[in-house]
Parts: sequence; structure tokens; C-alpha cells
Amino acid sequence: MAVSVPDLDLHAVSDGIGRREISSVQATEAYLGRIAEHDSVLRSYITVTADMALAQAKEADAEIARGRRRGPLHGVPIALKDLIAVAGVKMTSGSRVLADHVPRRDAFITWRLKDAGAVLLGKLAMHEFAFGRPVTDGAFPTGRNPWDVRRAPAGSSSGSAVAAAAGLCAGALGSDTGGSIRGPAAMTGLVGHKPTYGLVSRSGVLPLSWSLDHVGPMTRGVWDSAVLLQAIAGADPDDTSTRGATTQDYVGRLEDGARGLRLGLLKRYYVDVPGLNDEVRGAALTAFDVLRKEGATIDDVDAPSLDLAMAVWAPIMSEAYEYHADTLRATPEKFGEGLRTRIYLTALFTAQDVQRAQRLRARIGREVDALLSHVDALIFPGQATPALRFEEFPSTGFAPASIRYTAPWNLLGLPAVVVPSGFTREGLPVSIQIVGRRFDDATVLRIARAYERVTDWHRRRPDPTRWRL
Amino acid sequence: MKSSDNRRAQFDAECRTAGLTLGARDAELLYAMWLEWQPERDRLRAAAPVPEDEPWR
Repeated sequence: MAVSVPDLDLHAVSDGIGRREISSVQATEAYLGRIAEHDSVLRSYITVTADMALAQAKEADAEIARGRRRGPLHGVPIALKDLIAVAGVKMTSGSRVLADHVPRRDAFITWRLKDAGAVLLGKLAMHEFAFGRPVTDGAFPTGRNPWDVRRAPAGSSSGSAVAAAAGLCAGALGSDTGGSIRGPAAMTGLVGHKPTYGLVSRSGVLPLSWSLDHVGPMTRGVWDSAVLLQAIAGADPDDTSTRGATTQDYVGRLEDGARGLRLGLLKRYYVDVPGLNDEVRGAALTAFDVLRKEGATIDDVDAPSLDLAMAVWAPIMSEAYEYHADTLRATPEKFGEGLRTRIYLTALFTAQDVQRAQRLRARIGREVDALLSHVDALIFPGQATPALRFEEFPSTGFAPASIRYTAPWNLLGLPAVVVPSGFTREGLPVSIQIVGRRFDDATVLRIARAYERVTDWHRRRPDPTRWRL
Repeated sequence: MKSSDNRRAQFDAECRTAGLTLGARDAELLYAMWLEWQPERDRLRAAAPVPEDEPWR
């Protein structure tokens, strides 16, 4: 097979292994070679598990040679954000606090991926404890955007985005508490899927804020994300939030198209706002026209209480203070300054603030549920701006303004996916976002695929010759 | 409009209530962040819940 494995999407790698045109070992070696060549600049990995990956790949090849392919992930090299436990492999969460932490057990989703035959290339860089700031130096740099290495990939699943977009793995998992899958995916031209809350187990995944945390795929294509979701979705006795998990066939309906679907555009809250970059707006509106041409109907809709979403999200993030308070008191110097002060801010909300936030969260949910009883999904631009230069990130501030595009959907636990919808004049990716009904992740992926299959943004690759400082 | 002295006193009191012991730099950074977030906190406190606004219903 005369192709460069790192240029392929996960679908093509999987097909190549399935047809035995490439072996899992060849694919694994190709990614390890790419990591060795480029990750000193991109800084997407914290730990590369080369020996383990090659052993898994050899095992996969042997099993496939015996005529037993477990499924589409068998033999496919992927990587995990460094807050998802892999037994015996260091898990730092991007923090000096956990610099030497080695979990003894796999996270439930790690076990699921191993069971599906996936090859684990390593653990990916991230913003400290999924709530820190982008950094280029120190013990845990957060990664550089492969479309322009002077820019950050956003966060917190920064390494997952960089590795998947730059072809340093076939796909990755990230986590999302306020936008940490969808933001970086949007900044690097990936599909990023925050599944329904309670669909994917978080046992063995280091928490940031329990009622807002989600784990999901970050990949070059929609099919890739659907296949990863299929492998990790489902009930886990060790995570009671998954007790009611209703899984679907995420791949089977991908090609059903957009015809007959009703979409609601959240225009007032997301499009008619001054903070939205003109090129992002233009690309999103063009993308929505594409969905219309594909047979969807689109109407403007509104949920007025979304105006309260950021005021509501912040006090609920005090769950992070409860998790870190003891360590913060004992060893504050081990936390990065930016993370430390963000966590401290959540400690200043009163009990009434937190409970009021929970009540208003219910109100927003009621309004959005009412919208979703009339439309199949909500659509809007994926993010407010394209990727920012490192120096453009403010050194203070609780959350970036762009988080309004993502965090409301963590509050409500609804499935949300970003899909590439174009490039700016400077060559930076932009995206649209699709939000669906609870446990109807299959429909948001179907809509994303309906758009993807008539556009070619997802086929573009960043230029490795520009990965120089 | 609260004076900046009053705001700083309110911030210091909230830190004490929360049991935070901060170094000088952390205190300044947190104060700036706290000030910046005030409009959202005011919005939260001004939003009058109705009986239907009940979590876990």
C-alpha cells in the first residue's frame, strides 16, 4: 500500500489493516516514526508507550492472520488524554502534582479499547488538570497547533487534538467539561464528539467537575468518531451515571443523510453576537446552506435562558475545588498559577450561588428540551474564533469568552459534535457544532456525516514542513 | 457603585469565609479574576428562580 499511514484517517487505517494491505505493526511503526520526527516541536505526547504498542500490534497481526478480526479498531493505533488510566503507565494529568502517579488499573474505557483490539501509542498532553492554561515550556507543555505552530490548539485536550490532526495517531480520546474536546477539535480541523452525559464511563478518568465531565473521540472523520464511540459507550457498574446508558448503532445510520431532518439554528445566542469572528460566521452560514441543500429544514430558534449559562456553569465548577482543595492546601506550589487561581475562584461561590445555579441549570434544560421536541438537532458555529497565538491568551481570567459556544452543553449533558466547515484566509480550520437529544448521539453524528460527505475540509492535512520553531 | 476599597474588603472577607490562605501574587490574580467575574455572579444572583426551576425533577 503506497500511502503514508499518518496522512490517513482512522477509517482508511482500519480498512487497510482489515484487508491486510498494511499490518498493525507497520501502522504502529509509522506513527512512532512520526512522533520521533515531529513531537519535539508539536509536544502532543507526555508518555509514548512504544514497547507496549508494538507488542499489542504484533498480537493484533497474529490474531488477524488467524482470521479473527475483532472489529474496526483491531490493530488501529490510537492515544489517550493523560487523565485516562492505563494500568502500569504514568498518568500525570499534565500536573507536577501527579508527576509520578502510575495507576494500577485500566479505566473502564481503556479496557473497552483494549478489548476491541486497539493499539495504545501513549498518553497525550493536556492543560493542567483539564483547567489550566496553554503553556509552551515547563514540565508539561500543552502542545502546538499543527496548522500554525505559533498558535495553541486550545484545550484542555490539546495533545489529543494535535496528535490526531498531525497524524501522530489514528484517533484520540479527550475529555470535555466546558468544551475541552470540541474547542481543540475545532481549532485543529477535527471531528470532536462530546457524547451524552452518562453514555461513556468516567471510572478511571481523573475528574475535573463530576456533573460536567464527558469523555469522547477526536478524529479526522465522522466515521472514525462513531467507531470509537461504539467501543467505549455503555453501562459500567463503577460509574453510576451510566446506569441508564442507552447505546445505539453509531455507524449504521451515518449515511442516512440530512433529508427530512429538522434543524434549529440558535441564531440570537450564537450568530448575532459581536464576539463571533466574521470568517467563522461566514463559513458556518455557508455550511448550514449545504445542509439545507442536502434536504434538512432549518429554522431560527431560541432559548432565552442560555443567557444565564455562563453564570450557571462557573459555580458548578466548584466541584473542582472540592476535588483539589486538600492538595491545594498542602502543596499549592505544585499547581500552576493559572490553574490555582481558577480553582480558588470557584471556592468563593456561596452555597446559595451553587444551588441557584442548579435551579437555573434545570430551567435552561427545560427550555432546550422544549426546542428539541420540535427539531431533531440544534446547530451553530463551533467556536467564536479560529486558533489564537499563545500570546493572545490572557494570563488572567476564569474562562475564555468562547466557552459560551461549548459549556452550556456540558451543563445539559446533551450530545454535541463539531465538524470542520472551512478554513480562514490564514489557513486555520473553523467548524460548525451540532447538538442533539439525550442519548441520540447517532443523529448528531449522522448530521455531521451528511455535511462531511459533500465537503472536503476533512481531507486537508497540515504541512509537516512548517512544524519548525 | 461600590468603591474599589469596598470591593477589595468584600473580596478579602469572601476569601476568609472560604478558608483561603493566599500568597500576595495569588491574591492579586484572584482579585482581578473575581472582579472580572462579578457581572456573571450578579446575573446569577439577580435571576429569580420560579418553582419549576427544580434540579433533579
